[in-house]
Amino acid sequence: MRLESVGKRYGFTLPWVIRDVSLEIPAGALVRFEGRNGSGKSTVLRVIAGVSEPSRGIVTGRPATGYVPERFPPALPFAARHYLSHIGRVHGLTGTALASAIDACLDRLGGRELAGVPLRHMSKGMSQKVAVAQALLPGTGLLVLDEAWTGLDAEAKAALDEVVAERLAEGGSVVFVDHEPGRLAHLEAERWRLDDAHASRVQTDDRAGGECAGGGPEPEDAR
Amino acid sequence: MIALSRYELSLLFRSYRWIAPAVLYALGVFGLGGARLRHGGGLGPGLAWSALMLVPVEAWLTRSMLTAEPAAARACVAAAGGPRRTQVAALIAPTVVGAAFGLAGVIWQVFRLGVPRSAGTNAIRVGELFSDLGGGLAAGLICLLVGSAIAALLNPPVIRRPATAVLGTTGAVVLALAWNGSPANAAVRSIGYAGQERTWPAGVAMVAALGLVAATWTLSTQVAARRDG
Repeated sequence: MRLESVGKRYGFTLPWVIRDVSLEIPAGALVRFEGRNGSGKSTVLRVIAGVSEPSRGIVTGRPATGYVPERFPPALPFAARHYLSHIGRVHGLTGTALASAIDACLDRLGGRELAGVPLRHMSKGMSQKVAVAQALLPGTGLLVLDEAWTGLDAEAKAALDEVVAERLAEGGSVVFVDHEPGRLAHLEAERWRLDDAHASRVQTDDRAGGECAGGGPEPEDAR
Repeated sequence: MIALSRYELSLLFRSYRWIAPAVLYALGVFGLGGARLRHGGGLGPGLAWSALMLVPVEAWLTRSMLTAEPAAARACVAAAGGPRRTQVAALIAPTVVGAAFGLAGVIWQVFRLGVPRSAGTNAIRVGELFSDLGGGLAAGLICLLVGSAIAALLNPPVIRRPATAVLGTTGAVVLALAWNGSPANAAVRSIGYAGQERTWPAGVAMVAALGLVAATWTLSTQVAARRDG
């Protein structure tokens, strides 16, 4: 998929959150966005996921998309399985295919026992598992993760890392933001830095990531 | 679109936000609505009541739906189904509920007021019954559409401040019922009382109501996709 000169602002009188962003996300690519708080990382992810349309420019060739938002609300009046069924049906899944996709996504994150639990009664970690599970339902395609690891237990974090690696191997693309500089460091990622509403490609030898680690360049062994 | 509407409908139903508008409709139609109407006195005025109550009730249902979904939950479903289609589904769901209320209102009026009968033979005057019901259903649909258009225009995501949204919606509902240039007012008058001056024929009111819905739903959808977050 491609973003061509994409700009986004949340109102005609408001400043541009991102501006003139052009990039290509080929099948099988892992893309990481970095930047300070409020630099527009979440906005770029929302535009890539198709949650929000750009104010300028166009986005083309988006495959079936799963999106994990920054903060998933537990305040929905559904049990986990009921909620996941709704999202699965929006993705065009039905019947046994839907049921087995839901089981597979929950099992993957070690959350099978969550199926009957109402979202309202869930802890942050539990509802984060549901948030990730709903994004895995469409299968290989585009997976957009906005700090999706936050709140997950160690096993689920590791499982999500594995899922990302598998998706990439199957030809899916994954776009993510995470405050943890070492996240998915074992996989080869294309890194983009957002600064002053503009995005610039970070060269692989220029390891200046780690927006939560004090801002400065960080030696490899510090992680 | 069906899966999206089912999700939104389920959200509205399980959030119990439809109950207060349902009580308002029941009070309006079963209680206050034409307390002076008598069995055998003609269906028109009763059907007019069931139709006009749909304007505030549908506006309330639509506002309930548009404020029921947390932004992050909307983001997840919009990634799956597209932000525009999801917003349309969120406008369809309360319209389906409002239509069910309207049908219940029509059925209640028929039971309470009785079908039109010939004075001598007591035979049901089928032609008159169908024309009454057709007029009542058309007026109900016009009122439903007007209520939906008002709420789509004056509630999130177009108007976000709760005070402005609630006052604006209430004011627009009163205007839609009282001002004789409004399609809802014209529709109710056209079936309500014999001898009432008709402002517009029902067909014109229907076209106007459909136009209002098309315009306001488009605006709401546009804003949901572009100015969210």
